[in-house]
Amino acid sequence: MAIEKAVRKTRKPSTKKTTIEGALQEWETKVRQPSIASKPERKQQFKTMADYPVKSIYTPLDVADIDYLKDIGFPGQYPFTRHNTPNSYRSLDFVLSYYSGFGTPESGNKRFQELIARGGRAGVATDLPTQIALDPDHPLAKGEVGRVGVSLPSLADADRLYANIDISKNGVSAGVSNCIPFYGLALAIALAEKRGVKVKDMPLAAGQDDPLKEYTGRDTWIFPVPIAIEIATDNREYVAHYLPPMKQARSMGMVCTTQLGWCGVGAAEELGFALAHFVCYIDSALRRGLTLEEFVPHMDWHAGCDMDIFQEAAKFRAGRKLFAKLIKEKYHCDNPRVQALRSTCWIHSQRMYAQQPLNNLARLTMTVLASYLGGLESIATPGWDEAIALPTEESTRISNMIKFIINNECGLEGVVDPLGGSYYVERLTKQIEEEAEYWFNRIQDMGGAVAAVQKGFHYQEELKGTYRERQQINSGERVVIGLNKFRIEDDKMPEIFPGADPEDERIQVEKIRQLRERRDNKLAKEKLARLEDVAVKKTKDDKVNMVPAVLEAVKAYVTVGEIGSSLRKIFGEYKPAQG
Amino acid sequence: MERKIRVLIAKPGLDGHELGARLISRVLMDAGMEVIYTGPRQTAKMVANSAMQEDVDVVGLSFLGGSQKEHTAEISRLLKANGMSDVVLVVGGVIPPMDVSPLKKSGADGVFPSGADIVEITKSIRDLVKKKRKKAVTA
Repeated sequence: MAIEKAVRKTRKPSTKKTTIEGALQEWETKVRQPSIASKPERKQQFKTMADYPVKSIYTPLDVADIDYLKDIGFPGQYPFTRHNTPNSYRSLDFVLSYYSGFGTPESGNKRFQELIARGGRAGVATDLPTQIALDPDHPLAKGEVGRVGVSLPSLADADRLYANIDISKNGVSAGVSNCIPFYGLALAIALAEKRGVKVKDMPLAAGQDDPLKEYTGRDTWIFPVPIAIEIATDNREYVAHYLPPMKQARSMGMVCTTQLGWCGVGAAEELGFALAHFVCYIDSALRRGLTLEEFVPHMDWHAGCDMDIFQEAAKFRAGRKLFAKLIKEKYHCDNPRVQALRSTCWIHSQRMYAQQPLNNLARLTMTVLASYLGGLESIATPGWDEAIALPTEESTRISNMIKFIINNECGLEGVVDPLGGSYYVERLTKQIEEEAEYWFNRIQDMGGAVAAVQKGFHYQEELKGTYRERQQINSGERVVIGLNKFRIEDDKMPEIFPGADPEDERIQVEKIRQLRERRDNKLAKEKLARLEDVAVKKTKDDKVNMVPAVLEAVKAYVTVGEIGSSLRKIFGEYKPAQG
Repeated sequence: MERKIRVLIAKPGLDGHELGARLISRVLMDAGMEVIYTGPRQTAKMVANSAMQEDVDVVGLSFLGGSQKEHTAEISRLLKANGMSDVVLVVGGVIPPMDVSPLKKSGADGVFPSGADIVEITKSIRDLVKKKRKKAVTA
């Protein structure tokens, strides 16, 4: 009471109306500028990590044009800015899941069992030959078998990979299979059938099926772009029409913009591309007569996520809002199940530096926090050793624990969208939203995502971003601790993964040859011929669905290389433009 | 006037993360070199053939997928077997520190793991070319 009396005494009575604008001006002149004179600012211009210029302070003036109900709203409700679900982490905890595996299926199995024993779920990383439908004994596969993931050329290999693993609990995935999505789905269904597991009870994660991603910096493409889109739609149609309602149909329709994000195109541009890619896949599925309800709820936005907690939170908020707006206004759908965008990410792996690599643990923490403040439901993390080698078990585990620490130990999980209402974050959200719409419209004006890929637009933007960042690091404008500040020349290296055993390649080559001898070759030949017939039909009518024929072939132990070879002959192979 | 340094940047093997290769191509072009980029999915034979056809001074290999030792050794062997032992061979990308020495032993004149300074890479390439050209003249 005494304190209140004292405050009332010292408070000067206002003689004129004090506006925030006026007060801000006065503060700038009388307080901030003089302070700079004695304590200069460290930069001429401060920016977010995507180079968006920022001011020193944000006030109610910066959100004067923002309407709470129209622009922000409530979580789980249009426009979904705050979250796609009403309760976010109050209900959600992360699933402990590892993208892992290397070498032979036996090596993969060993690693998986160890991970599962620790309470996690194993998601498969496949090697490059598998990803581009080459068998281990293909000339191009030399030196590549089992290097970046498990060699998985047939159903027999999948069986070995999941030996002694309860797939009804763990699920089956074929990792990144953006250009062979039918293969991942077929392996999951065939293995479930073999083991008497009901597919609908499995946490199915057939694999990522976003072919557009492959033509833009990751390059595990196979076929020309238009047919690749239709191949991905085959999966969505099959799941919607032929599989019983899935328990969790994850990874059925990710739109993955990680490459774009990591190559420095910037948050808003990344979102613009994402929307254009969604439109591409949605339009393709609608052509098949699928309803939005049948596949869109399975789709999520799998973005790159950077360390800038405010920028990334704003990006994901803007993403949910623009996606909901797209569904409502372009596709005239008011179903909240369709409008609500589930977002996931793979942490910005280019921020994992090879210099003083343990520092990356701090970077991982910041990036996971950024994803968390953006409300992401699944956060995939590289190891701190990402720039050097495949992750060890330990580095994989540590990275995974970060998100559980954040969601359980830090008192953060009780408030949905805690950054909402921040003058800065609301302003940034609006800014990213407007700029993302610009990029989306630009891509659509070009003819859409497929046309943009074919024109090399994605590459052009990625190279611009990468080059700009690299120049900034070189000049010191972009500080990277350990790289251009506090660099140590003879940095000791902690233990890293020694690499897959080159013997694994020899084993896989031997095994695939044995498989081809021992299987019922009459049946395999017949099923492959049937698949080729269907593929030929697809060249005349791209809506013809190949999944049933692929499933039959996979069950007859036709290999991924044989499928790849036949389809390459029929569909042709993508020819990248020389850069 | 000394002729411009001609560089072939190649991505051997199946890994297609090309941005590093494209970035270094741009950096070297900005530095006044002539750069040809092969694109992804190059076999060792294709790289060596391109190097010969383009009559390059430098072959730069970009790796992410772990196949650096096999490809570097094979490309080095093919270059030497085809009378191109004057060519500077450099390797960059995701290279674990324990691979640096084996790579040099199998023919790499320079190894630039992840995070290497692009200015230093450019300078190293210039110096390596200078050295080899001098050697060729005095041979």
